[in-house]
Amino acid sequence: MGAMWAWLFLFALIVVFSIIGKGFLSLTNFQNILANMSILAILAFGQTFVIIAAGIDLSTGWVMGMVSVVSAIVMTSLPEGLPLWLVVLSGSLVGILVAIMAGMVNGLLIARLNVPPFIATMGMFGIARGVGFLLSNGMPIPISISGLGRLGNGYLFYHHPEFGWSFLNQPAGLERAQMRQLLGVIPFVLIVMIVLLLIAHIMLSRTKFGLRTYAVGGNKEATLRAGIPVVSQLTRVYVVSAVFAGFAGIVYNLRFTNGAANAGEALQLDSIAAVVIGGASLFGGAGTVGGAMIGALIISVLENGLVIMAINPFWKYIAVGTVIIIAVLIDQARERMVIG
Amino acid sequence: MNSKWLVAIGLVLALALAGCTAAPAPAAPAPEEAAAPAEEAAPAEEEAAPAEEATAPAEEEAAPAEEEAPAAEAPTIALVYGVAGDGFYITMEKGLRDMAAEMGAEAVADGPSQFDAVQQTPILDAMVSRGVDAICIAATDKQAMIEPMQRAHDAGIPIISVDTFIGDGDYENGPVTFPLSYVGSDNEEGGRIACNAVIEAMGGEGKIYIQNIKPGVSTTDQREQGCIEAIEATEGKVTLVGVDYNDDSAAKAAEQTSAVLQREPDLGAIFGTNLFSAQGAAQAVKNAGLTGLVKVANFDAPEAAIVDLRNEVVDIVIAQLPYEIGQKCVEYSMLALEGREDEIPARWPTGYVVITRDNVDSEEAQMAIYKSE
Repeated sequence: MGAMWAWLFLFALIVVFSIIGKGFLSLTNFQNILANMSILAILAFGQTFVIIAAGIDLSTGWVMGMVSVVSAIVMTSLPEGLPLWLVVLSGSLVGILVAIMAGMVNGLLIARLNVPPFIATMGMFGIARGVGFLLSNGMPIPISISGLGRLGNGYLFYHHPEFGWSFLNQPAGLERAQMRQLLGVIPFVLIVMIVLLLIAHIMLSRTKFGLRTYAVGGNKEATLRAGIPVVSQLTRVYVVSAVFAGFAGIVYNLRFTNGAANAGEALQLDSIAAVVIGGASLFGGAGTVGGAMIGALIISVLENGLVIMAINPFWKYIAVGTVIIIAVLIDQARERMVIG
Repeated sequence: MNSKWLVAIGLVLALALAGCTAAPAPAAPAPEEAAAPAEEAAPAEEEAAPAEEATAPAEEEAAPAEEEAPAAEAPTIALVYGVAGDGFYITMEKGLRDMAAEMGAEAVADGPSQFDAVQQTPILDAMVSRGVDAICIAATDKQAMIEPMQRAHDAGIPIISVDTFIGDGDYENGPVTFPLSYVGSDNEEGGRIACNAVIEAMGGEGKIYIQNIKPGVSTTDQREQGCIEAIEATEGKVTLVGVDYNDDSAAKAAEQTSAVLQREPDLGAIFGTNLFSAQGAAQAVKNAGLTGLVKVANFDAPEAAIVDLRNEVVDIVIAQLPYEIGQKCVEYSMLALEGREDEIPARWPTGYVVITRDNVDSEEAQMAIYKSE
């Protein structure tokens, strides 16, 4: 229900920008918005689990950066000549392992030692940040592996008015002028985002894990009395959040071909905002990843549309801030309705 | 309490790591050639220490220098940098440490986790308390840091500004005169150099877009200003289509740039005021199939920027010389400690090197790249 107004708002934004914004209404631009929002959305998917469980994870942005650095180090230190898939897989596996460790620490602190989520994850915020910078010596790590950037920036299909359609690869031997006419269709990262969206959605809506996540967030005491292992459930929720942050870090590496400790710094608050705008309740027990996706879309469409309309960029902060406040007001109104 | 211990342990580790790294020192260009483009800023004096010398025995062990060699009367020179974990300051710290080792001084370095005066002040105070002999500081706020730095000066410690300044930066006739010198690059000049270079690459006319990190940061604001001056100097042949702020995130820079490319399909060039701004912008350009048609200039020269340059994603890299700033500050500190303050210039502008694919392999360009080890 909470996401209903978000859908309407998104629709209104798109209509307004399409009418006023020059170049907004086009396949290329919509695909740009979707590809560019992928990292933010993946962070938000993980955050959704935590917020449904009545917690908050402030460390995801820096865990994302730490994983970005770790997987960049793994990818660049492997011997040359290995197939690309093996390089990406190894980098990702080690990166996700590191994310799991960070999530475990968060989860154990919060679930077992009763540290408030705000404090525990703020601690991890600092630790992941420090580890990321230490490992990378404070500099982004360039990953010069041929084909890697294509994974992050390529499209499933390409269409060119002269050469027609091609699958996976751009038509060979294009001149610069012809490059401009080339249209990519369905960015790879969009597929990654949708797969992760589906996984998160199924986990939440179709599994015992999801059911328990809502239960823990809805009423911890009752869940405990019902015999659900709250401690291990909560721990796992934070691991899930960290793993999604890890995926975000890996997608960042593919997209920008470098590993950076501060890759997620600017996205942290936006990702929490996306979840809230998408109708998740900060009181716990309510929310969906689909909602988080809409929230991320609203933020990205605002960003894109305001730039396209050449509006003073400071208005963007005001716009996003206002949307967050409206979302929370709606959330609270709903809460009162439920109680009343 | 616990977090303080963690911080302390972390600092020791950080110092140890920093101590491990040793690199050959780049040559320092003469001051009068400062802020000159690559072709002119040829190294004048060969001050470069051979690599073997730079690797002093004390630095091979993973331990802070002061525990290793308690040289009886070696002065301690402190660097208070602007923010931790920044390649620019890490390179500056390396220059400072290498030069200190060469001149027989001890070096300590520390800085806040955010570019913020409230966080930087206690670090400066701690340096004063531990009795360092000279302080090189990149003030995080040109107004707010005046009083804390005045306190350190009143404690009898020579103060030298590196990278950023306090007051108006004029330590001879300005409102603040107690710092002995301001060693750093002129960012406005740097912005002008960067945009003159892209304007030339555009053939002298067209549209430019600026990707900046956030408003209110003196250095990047000045780069933006310098770029705008270069655009205005063309008297309308080049126009500025806009400035956007990406919060130092390549992902946001890419998002905003792809929107601008929708709005301005005939954009000629983009000036990224730091690495992430340029990287995100360049990725958006590449995704739009406009590589080569839209020139991208990148301010600051970590290794990642050079990789982008070689991959033809970025066309121009503007390198500051942080290593040289660190070296110079040690040199001036030692002069001050010997009572030769009148030999220290109140302003020593370090120059820039403009790196393109044509000169990237030159010794000068290679020396200017920020390296973490």
